[in-house]
Amino acid sequence: MSTTTAKTDAVASEPSVPSTPSDRRERDRMRRRLARRRGGGWWPYLFLAPWFVGLFGLTIYPMLDSLYLSFTDFDLLTPAQWTGTDNYERMFTDDPVFWDSVHATLVYVVVSVPLKLALALAVAMLLNRDLKGIGLYRAAFYLPSLLGGAVAIAIVWRQVFGGDGLFNDFLAWFGIEGQDWISSPDTALYTLVLLAVWQFGTPMVIFLAGLKQLPKDVYEAAAIDGASPVTRFFRITLPLLTPIVFFNVVLQIIDAFKTFTPAFVISNGSGGPLNSTMLYSLYLYKKGFTDLQMGYASALAWVLFLVIAGFTAVNFIAGRYWVHYDD
Amino acid sequence: MGHQISRRTLFRTASGLAVVGGLGGALSACGGGTGAGSTSSELTMTWWGSDDRHAAYKKALASFQKDNPKVKIRETYSGYDGYFDKFNTNIAGGSAPDLLQMDTALVAQYARKGVLAPLDSYVGKSLDLTGFSKTLLAAGTVDGKLYGVPSGIGVNQLTVNRSGLEDLGLKLPDREWTWADLRKISQDVYKKSGGKIHGVDDVGGGSLQAFEIYAREHGETFFSEDGKNVGFSPETLQRWWEYWAEMRKLNACPPPAITSAAHNDLTKNAVVIGKALFTFDIGVYGAGGSVTDAQLDFLPSPQGDWSGAREGNYVNGGVLLSATKSSKRVGDSVKIMSFFAQDETAIKAMQLFRGIPPTEKARDLIASGLSETDKLNMEMADYISKRVSAASDALPTPPAPPQGADQIWDLLFQSNLAIAFGKKSIKAQLGEFFDQAAGILGG
Repeated sequence: MSTTTAKTDAVASEPSVPSTPSDRRERDRMRRRLARRRGGGWWPYLFLAPWFVGLFGLTIYPMLDSLYLSFTDFDLLTPAQWTGTDNYERMFTDDPVFWDSVHATLVYVVVSVPLKLALALAVAMLLNRDLKGIGLYRAAFYLPSLLGGAVAIAIVWRQVFGGDGLFNDFLAWFGIEGQDWISSPDTALYTLVLLAVWQFGTPMVIFLAGLKQLPKDVYEAAAIDGASPVTRFFRITLPLLTPIVFFNVVLQIIDAFKTFTPAFVISNGSGGPLNSTMLYSLYLYKKGFTDLQMGYASALAWVLFLVIAGFTAVNFIAGRYWVHYDD
Repeated sequence: MGHQISRRTLFRTASGLAVVGGLGGALSACGGGTGAGSTSSELTMTWWGSDDRHAAYKKALASFQKDNPKVKIRETYSGYDGYFDKFNTNIAGGSAPDLLQMDTALVAQYARKGVLAPLDSYVGKSLDLTGFSKTLLAAGTVDGKLYGVPSGIGVNQLTVNRSGLEDLGLKLPDREWTWADLRKISQDVYKKSGGKIHGVDDVGGGSLQAFEIYAREHGETFFSEDGKNVGFSPETLQRWWEYWAEMRKLNACPPPAITSAAHNDLTKNAVVIGKALFTFDIGVYGAGGSVTDAQLDFLPSPQGDWSGAREGNYVNGGVLLSATKSSKRVGDSVKIMSFFAQDETAIKAMQLFRGIPPTEKARDLIASGLSETDKLNMEMADYISKRVSAASDALPTPPAPPQGADQIWDLLFQSNLAIAFGKKSIKAQLGEFFDQAAGILGG
């Protein structure tokens, strides 16, 4: 701190001291040393290299490649020929199945995301208390999400909602004669929605973490003022939780747009009946790998990219009006 | 002076990262490029089928390896679902199998795209096709060149649950039956079973095993000669759909939910689940495994009951064995094809698992070891192929289907389903069908 004795001992970090040329040199040296210590130079990049290889080799390059392919007639088997914007034009003007898949996907997103998040929040509220063995309950509620992405569970779903499935057996107890829910074009998509909603574990865990962080004193004050539990939920919990709701909404919408496995397994790869379960990713897969129209599939992928990016941008903009950060 | 991470920054960053990660994955899955063939020292052979067929192939290949220890074979096999998706991916990724079981319906597409190796230069040398008829070889021939060796004779047969019929006091219809007879007996099944069993599965959307025969009975082909459009007229398709609409109305065939569930899923076939006694799906028995305990029997497709109706059946080649062009082991692959075509142990191992054997010699070899149902199956195939060759008015065997054929078949299936579910009228669906078909085939 003190700069009393020797003149040569001038310390650079004291701006009030008038600077001489030697002072300035000293200061530059210090700055360089500091910069090195903070991580300047190329060393960090060396350590990041494996990740960069992955990013460029497995993500950026294939993405650019697919952008190129989306303007070609690539069929997986023979070299790609440039066809300009043909693929994009065909999508919007001459492909009824594309619109079927857009319809199915939008219904799926719009119905499944709110239901899933509402259920996740409700269960998170239930689990946010100090009970004996609460960890066990949490694990039990999270379990479906661990199984959820798996092919096995989709196969089980197929069985449960099939014509002679468990669900109809259950309905039979009440004298209701069920139908084959998977094979009817009016209900098949909703079995997928149900499967998605059932896998509420991930947003639930995130909600739970958020609920645990909420300040207790606000609740105490509200309780003293006589606020009912409902009021407390809508006036305190929900507003304080909006950043987490926002995070979950963004994540779940993206996830829902990209859903593939359950639709593929439950419809046996067909997207049927009558394209009612032809989720966008499934259609993309079918075009690329079954119908050998990889160029068209790439175009579909880029349209999906733009749509999801658009939805996310809208989310972020809308978020300014309803998300409250407490900092 | 610690840097404070605000909640705002945290959540925005996390959301942003999630967006990037999520989207990147979707897009990068679609990149790729064409590559070279397999370089491993093993010869990769791949096929689809039932467990019985897998076991038969493995048994035959084991015998082949005993005599040819230098050829190391790697066997990969699966069901039909996803088989060609995987094959497409392998070709694009440069890891195509050397030798594969090929679908007669898809051989033209792959041959024209240069995926398959032409085999003509081997015929008569390392590829022994003695006893294969010309019409049979047509199944593996594209633009005059041979790209696949047929495994056997395939004909369209209806599989009948004969014991189920007898339980209802009904008799197996005569072999020379008509579409009207099918309607009659299907109605009888429904009535006599007290509404529990429908007669026949709904094939208003069935292509190869149903409508194609019906169109040929009208003197029309499924695809036009140049493959740029369908070959049948709207009137024929309309009459076909009206026939099946009436069948549904009479409960002679099951409701659309059952039809839809059975699509691509043999275990949900109406006969397999006990909801019908007749099925057009040759897979129910054709693969050799018995799906139900019932005594099965076989019938040709019904004949036309209008004046001027022609013979609609034809003989095709079961499945094919093809070699890929990028393979460095085409010579060895051809050796294996020849082995399956002529070798006694191979023929005995394969039995009827790839259709009725293609040559007289092979049929004699397996005759003694066949089950009762196998014998009925083979006998009916023999009956149909004799009837076809005797018929003067039968159209020639159709050439290998054009590219996009599988999309047309799917379109036909979906169209019939849309009508059956009451989502579309026959008239409206007809227009859509022909519009879309022309678009797919590029005519």
